[in-house]
Amino acid sequence: MQKNALHILLADDDEDDRLFFKDAFEEVRVQTKVTFVHDGLQLMEHLMQPDVKLPDILFLDLNMPKKTGKECLIEIKKTEHLKNIIIAIYSTSSSEEDIEDTFIEGANIYIKKPSDFNTLKKIINEVVTLNWHYHTSGLNRDNFLLRLK
Amino acid sequence: MKWIPKFNSSNSLRVIFVIAVFILLFLSSIAYKHNQDLNESSKLVMHTYEINIQLERLMSAIKDAETGQRGYIITRNGRFLTPYIYSRDKVNTSFITLKKLTADNPKQQKNLQKLFGLITQRFTSFENCFKYSNPQTYDKRKLDNHMFGGRILMDNIRFQVDEMNDIEKRYQQKRLKIYDQEISLSPVFSISLFLTALIFIILSYRQISKDIKRLKIFNKKLLISSRLMAESEVIGKFSTWQWDLDLNKIDYSDNQYRLLGFKPNAFVPEKDTFLNFVHPDDKEAVAKSMEGIVNKKQLPFIYYKITLPNNEIRYFKSTGKLLTDQQGSQILLGINFDITDEHLLNIELQERNRELEKSNQELASFNHVASHDLQEPLRKIQTFISRVSDADKAVLSDSAKDYISKIEVSAKRMRVLIDDLLLFSRTNTTKKEFIKSNLNELLENAKSELTEIIDEKKATITVSKLPKLDVIPYQIEQLFINLIGNSLKYSKPDIRPEIDIVTEKVSSKDYPDLLEPNSKKFYKITFSDNGMGFDSQFKETIFILFQRLHSKTDYPGTGIGLAICKKIVENHKGHITADSILGKGSVFTVFLPE
Repeated sequence: MQKNALHILLADDDEDDRLFFKDAFEEVRVQTKVTFVHDGLQLMEHLMQPDVKLPDILFLDLNMPKKTGKECLIEIKKTEHLKNIIIAIYSTSSSEEDIEDTFIEGANIYIKKPSDFNTLKKIINEVVTLNWHYHTSGLNRDNFLLRLK
Repeated sequence: MKWIPKFNSSNSLRVIFVIAVFILLFLSSIAYKHNQDLNESSKLVMHTYEINIQLERLMSAIKDAETGQRGYIITRNGRFLTPYIYSRDKVNTSFITLKKLTADNPKQQKNLQKLFGLITQRFTSFENCFKYSNPQTYDKRKLDNHMFGGRILMDNIRFQVDEMNDIEKRYQQKRLKIYDQEISLSPVFSISLFLTALIFIILSYRQISKDIKRLKIFNKKLLISSRLMAESEVIGKFSTWQWDLDLNKIDYSDNQYRLLGFKPNAFVPEKDTFLNFVHPDDKEAVAKSMEGIVNKKQLPFIYYKITLPNNEIRYFKSTGKLLTDQQGSQILLGINFDITDEHLLNIELQERNRELEKSNQELASFNHVASHDLQEPLRKIQTFISRVSDADKAVLSDSAKDYISKIEVSAKRMRVLIDDLLLFSRTNTTKKEFIKSNLNELLENAKSELTEIIDEKKATITVSKLPKLDVIPYQIEQLFINLIGNSLKYSKPDIRPEIDIVTEKVSSKDYPDLLEPNSKKFYKITFSDNGMGFDSQFKETIFILFQRLHSKTDYPGTGIGLAICKKIVENHKGHITADSILGKGSVFTVFLPE
């Protein structure tokens, strides 16, 4: 059971957000193991550990101290053994600029942090059940920003 | 290089002068020749006259001898012999003179020789007559013979003398005729020549006076233009200087002295004088470009500082050009502009620009604050409220439930406000990339964005064909969303909303109140609806930020939507107007440049 669990990594400096995230995952039916890091530097240290189990999906906040999400994204995509990690940008910002930049740098999906707990649950459900192979191959600028139906 | 007027006449003038001088020289040579001829002819006349006299003298001497001989023969008185004895000497003297006179004429010499022979014979016959008339040797027959022979000889002599006279006369007449011809011909010729020369001189005089007149005009013009130049140098705060490279002479215009803080001609400029005024910071650069100008023949603008004698610093801009004048000497022409005022203004502008940039940056960071830092606590409030489950609510008092729902509404409204404000500021600050876009597609996007509310209100939207324009696509899409959204929002509750979108191509001069009358083509897109409309006195104010015509309980909104519309249209250098009749519907008109 534990072996099949989806490995999720959230990089976010906000304690409340990590709490919401943890609670939401607990209510999602899919078996998941959620790990948290508090900033960009910690994220990169975590990923660079020699015997680390790489996450299936990395939720990456953009606005983090020490190292921003964007810097982490660029670094990950440059690193050979990390570049295939599915990266979901998870940010308060909905600025065109941020969406555009992260799309170009190779993020897989852009999630605007919702202001409703139920919506958050829906989003997490959507993301963990997404057929990533299908989504990534048909990825374009229009479906990059996650919109719930 | 036409800054010295050319006088084409100077060459022709020179030719005219040379011709006139030649004519005069020719005339004087002719006059000299005529004089010579006259001299010759008078000499000739004298010569002929002299020969004539001498011959006459000869004749009279012989006649004297003859008369004396006769008197002696008749009277035997020795006194009659005196003329005879003298006549011999006279004849000889005349002969010598005649010989000299006819030395140039061989024919006359011959005749003279013959005459001499005849005279000698005549004297022999005199001697014989004396001999046979002498009473001791008297022989009447021989005397008669000799006397008679003497007479024939005398006739021959006369004849010979006449012939010689004739020859001389004919020769004289022939020569005189030639001279006459020459002299009679010359007055017409010389007068005509003289007249020609006169005409030439008059012509050249006219040319000269014309040139002088032109020179005077040019002089006047030059004077005016140099005055004008000096004045405009003062007014325009610039100056000129000339450096004659061949003579190594430098001239400053009056204003150059003034710009350097001196009175005109206060000093004699030399090559390095100017450099002494240049601020130490710029000295090297100015010296280098001064040298460069000689090689490159042209100087791009250089900018530098000048220190005046009173230590004031002025900013100069200079350029120069190497010119070659008509005489082939090289002149370096330089122009200096005193741009201190402009420079200071420029510095001020740069300062303001920096301030603006700074405030822009502040605005950008405010955007960032608004988008992240303000939203984050708000989002958390909303999320925490959403986590208050229904089960939790059940244990709350009614008033607490009410408060929680009021917090929820307020937070939602705060979110809308922040989002709209962000949208408004972004329409201004984000990069404006104009892309040729099909407005029909943008309208379709807008409609699909509004699908939910369109379906809910069962609205119909009719669109005539929209053009393709260079626009900022997402902004025009936002414009369409806001305008259609506005119509849908303020529709009448009991009537299905109908929105008509009509496009028309117009010229800006048809709307002088709205658009600049420069005959540019515009697309006029009208959005008319059958909604509740508004009092037309508010048709200006509705575009102002946060201006609302309705209470927010009836119609939720932030009063930002139409302000965004105005901003977007202004970004496209267009214009937006609104008009309405309360209860009948509204018309929004967008003008976008072609």
